[in-house]
Amino acid sequence: MSPRNVKLVFLREVRDQLRDRRTLFMIVVLPLLLYPSLGIGMFQMMTTFREQPREVLILGVEHLPDAPQFMDADGIRTEWFSGGEDDASKLNVIHSGMTEVGKDAKGDATALAEAERLRLRIETVFELLAGSNKSISVPADQSEPEDEKKKVQKQAATDALRESGADVLVVIPPGFGEGVDQPLRDGDDGPAYSGPLVISNSADEKSMVASDRVLNALSNWEDALLARRFDEAGLPSDTHRPAKISKLDVAQTEQIAANMWSKLFPALLIIMTVTGAFYPAIDLGAGEKERGTMETLLISPAFRSEIVLGKFLTVMVFSCGTALLNLASMGFTGQYMVSMVGQQQQLSGSMAFPPMASLFWLFVMLIPIAALFSALCLGLATFAKSSKEGQYYLTPLLMVTMGLTVFCLSPTVEITPLYSVLPVVNVALLLKGMLLAPVSSQTLYAYLFPVLISSAGYSLVALWWAIELFGSEAVLFRAAERVSPRLWLRHMIANKLPRPSFSQAIFCFVAIMFLQFAAMGPMQKILGADESGTAMLKVLVFQQIFIIAMPAILMSFLLTTSVKETLRLRLPSAKHIVAAIGLALVLHPLAFELLASLQGWFFPSLPPELTSQMAKMMSAGEKNVWLLLAVFALAPGICEEIAFRGFVLSGLNRSGRTGLAIVGSAVAFGIMHMIPQQVFNASLVGLIIGLLAIRSRSLLVGIVFHILFNSLGILHGVFGAGIKTDGIFQYLFRHEDNVLRYSPLLLAFAAVIAYRLIRWIGSDQKSEQQADTTVRDRTTATVGSELLGEKV
Amino acid sequence: MILAEDLTKDFPDLKRGQVRALGGVSFEIPAGEIFGLLGPNGAGKTTCLRILSTVLQPTSGVARVADFDVTEYPADVRRRIGFMSNNTGIYDRMTSREMVQYFGRLYGMEEDVLDARIEEIFDVLQMNEIRDRLGSKLSTGNKQKVSIARTIVHDPPVMIFDEPTSGLDVLVARSVLETIDSLRDQGKCIIFSTHIMREVEKLCDRVAVIHRGEILAMGSIEELIDQHEQPDVEELFFELIRKHDEQVPVTA
Repeated sequence: MSPRNVKLVFLREVRDQLRDRRTLFMIVVLPLLLYPSLGIGMFQMMTTFREQPREVLILGVEHLPDAPQFMDADGIRTEWFSGGEDDASKLNVIHSGMTEVGKDAKGDATALAEAERLRLRIETVFELLAGSNKSISVPADQSEPEDEKKKVQKQAATDALRESGADVLVVIPPGFGEGVDQPLRDGDDGPAYSGPLVISNSADEKSMVASDRVLNALSNWEDALLARRFDEAGLPSDTHRPAKISKLDVAQTEQIAANMWSKLFPALLIIMTVTGAFYPAIDLGAGEKERGTMETLLISPAFRSEIVLGKFLTVMVFSCGTALLNLASMGFTGQYMVSMVGQQQQLSGSMAFPPMASLFWLFVMLIPIAALFSALCLGLATFAKSSKEGQYYLTPLLMVTMGLTVFCLSPTVEITPLYSVLPVVNVALLLKGMLLAPVSSQTLYAYLFPVLISSAGYSLVALWWAIELFGSEAVLFRAAERVSPRLWLRHMIANKLPRPSFSQAIFCFVAIMFLQFAAMGPMQKILGADESGTAMLKVLVFQQIFIIAMPAILMSFLLTTSVKETLRLRLPSAKHIVAAIGLALVLHPLAFELLASLQGWFFPSLPPELTSQMAKMMSAGEKNVWLLLAVFALAPGICEEIAFRGFVLSGLNRSGRTGLAIVGSAVAFGIMHMIPQQVFNASLVGLIIGLLAIRSRSLLVGIVFHILFNSLGILHGVFGAGIKTDGIFQYLFRHEDNVLRYSPLLLAFAAVIAYRLIRWIGSDQKSEQQADTTVRDRTTATVGSELLGEKV
Repeated sequence: MILAEDLTKDFPDLKRGQVRALGGVSFEIPAGEIFGLLGPNGAGKTTCLRILSTVLQPTSGVARVADFDVTEYPADVRRRIGFMSNNTGIYDRMTSREMVQYFGRLYGMEEDVLDARIEEIFDVLQMNEIRDRLGSKLSTGNKQKVSIARTIVHDPPVMIFDEPTSGLDVLVARSVLETIDSLRDQGKCIIFSTHIMREVEKLCDRVAVIHRGEILAMGSIEELIDQHEQPDVEELFFELIRKHDEQVPVTA
């Protein structure tokens, strides 16, 4: 690779982008103009537009007790609102006593007449609600079963609120004032009376806001009433709060600011990084094709990897630039707005920027995340035929990113070892932690290495993918094709080959995953009702046969000309069988100890329901070990191998890129297991079985390995605790928490043997690729000759 | 300088499975010759030229350009060819000079040599007026001039032109053909594809009539006319196509 060519492509593309008005607008003009104008505009709107007062209709004010006085001529007294005058001004109170106090000047007489009519109706409601002093809330969903009386009550209240035209209806029942004022006597339950009823609609936000304010005022008034009673009884006014709980907020201005930046900056960083990569990538990938300059560039002496790298660096520069400009612009705008609001409300303090250390880490984190998005965007854009198509392909990436960002914003989500290696999530969570507590969070720095390394790894894989796409004739010279499922189906059936295609392999995997998700609900129901654990065993066998193996078998028959070739149905050599048995034996302790060492700190604990179901199954199976072996070793050993080393691996390997096919099938095999621990374990094991399947060209080798490997796991679980670890065995095993563990000596020995065995099968030069090429050439020649009218 | 032996190229097609776009094409072109690939649309001309320029990989067969195998040494081949087609666009946001300079640099030319070469080419092609004009502001004819300048800036021994006059008015087309003719005089090996008979008659030393991925006839214009007893190139072309279609009916 020539750095000179990379630099030439990079400089040209940067200059080209800087001359593009669309890119400049999106990347520079928008953040520099939009946020400040939006911020100032919003501030102006906040000062200009106030919350509209909500209407509250209070019926039966004459039934209120005289003291403490809840209402005056203007409505509810300001002193009862926690927010004081501000809260009071947001309620427009109309009450039945207004005519008496001369408040009909504003044209409320009609409303009051209506209110009087309603009062009669509400009194009827009161009789139905006798004894209840709770507010009635009218939920939007009324599908819950209710008894007839409650339904009538709710319907009457709903009608009353609607007809009143108010947002909240407060009804003071007759006899309330007398009831409250009646003195309590020892041993008396008190007088029977109903309290005020607040009728609101929780499906209407305006009604809810007004109702909260009214309830707040009533609650404060009730506290005053209570204090008066205590006073009359000669008790301290805080008798009802014996614990005297108080709250002290020690948050400092910087911490409040850090809390806000920790929510804002990681989310913005990620969204702006992908947005910044979006348009340049489309222009440099799909746009180049659209303008016809792609071919011009391809015939230059620059290697495709040099061209992609130059373009990738360009996209990355613009991605980083967009993110930084947006963050800076939004930061300054936010700070300005907060200070303006603070000045207006006479509040002290302002939104201080995060410390330099945090900003430094923000910059460091920006690089891997921008690299990942730049490579992904460039790959997707290269795949697109036009800029318009590129936008369609890239939009889902933006949406997935936003979904991940929302997940990271949750205050309960913090970085863990597992999250530290998940793409995008790792950067967002680490950055969130560092912005929140830059000094005290020394432990966060322990995550820095895994986050940076894994992010760099994902970026490299994405970049490699983009280079691969750039080297693909099918992608670069893809002609417009009519989207026709009928044509596609006809093509799949009419132009069958001995082995499935790459897309058919992916389709098989997606079908298996879809069936797994679809079956999850019914399976959970069966398992929930199962006490003995035997139902789960049956469900697992059903899942293996009908959800995992059957799609692969059906697709082999329908989509290929040779089920034998596709599923590798041939007898293997003795060498490969020996290797499979040997590898299963030596990899079991290695895999077990690897998982055990990662459990707890890296992988989260299994959900309790799953643990209890597993325990039930094991107890059901302990009575019959053969049953456990059949369910957990034999069934997956056959069914999963048919699907993953049969159909999926055959399809992925048709292009002849064996290494990629093995990795792809192993990852698919891992993902199918869904639980993080099993995903990790199955992916690693899938690599070994994939290698065995490719080298032996036989499914049977994988089946032997899989059955033996799973059987060892089962036997370890059932009999491990009972194995004696004295004598010579003390050098091989030990017990820990009643679980059999393998000694470092045994593990070292197993690792050496595993290495030797992998080398042994890896040295077999006869590969499936040669066979595939022969098959492909023969088929192509046949179809081609037929097209040209030749006889074969 | 150019050697093609039994070149084939297949493309996947949703409707027809694998489609053979090039079905065993062979020819050899020495230096100082203009070799014409004459064929209708979809004959396989562009596929053949894209293989020679290393943009596509052949399914089978051998192709060598300036003694380098196109599959094994694509970068060496690309360094020694100039490729121009009606598909090779120019950058809208680069000036004519920047565009030619960019490709000259990609070909590894020294700055002083490149500057002198650009001056020379811009003089010959009368491009000095448009040297600082952006690609988006150029007329079709001037865009084609920039493409030619980009193709010849590194003075390659082999030139590949794929329907270079397609979509051009007669004046610009004539100018392009004159440029190609002058390149032959400089000893370049030139392969030139077209479906315009007049251009072949005027320009090519030898011609291969290509149809549905196969070469139907190859030789000098005079030889072919004599051999097939036709009055001119146009009649020769129609006769060869008709005969082939009668023998091998079109399959959908």
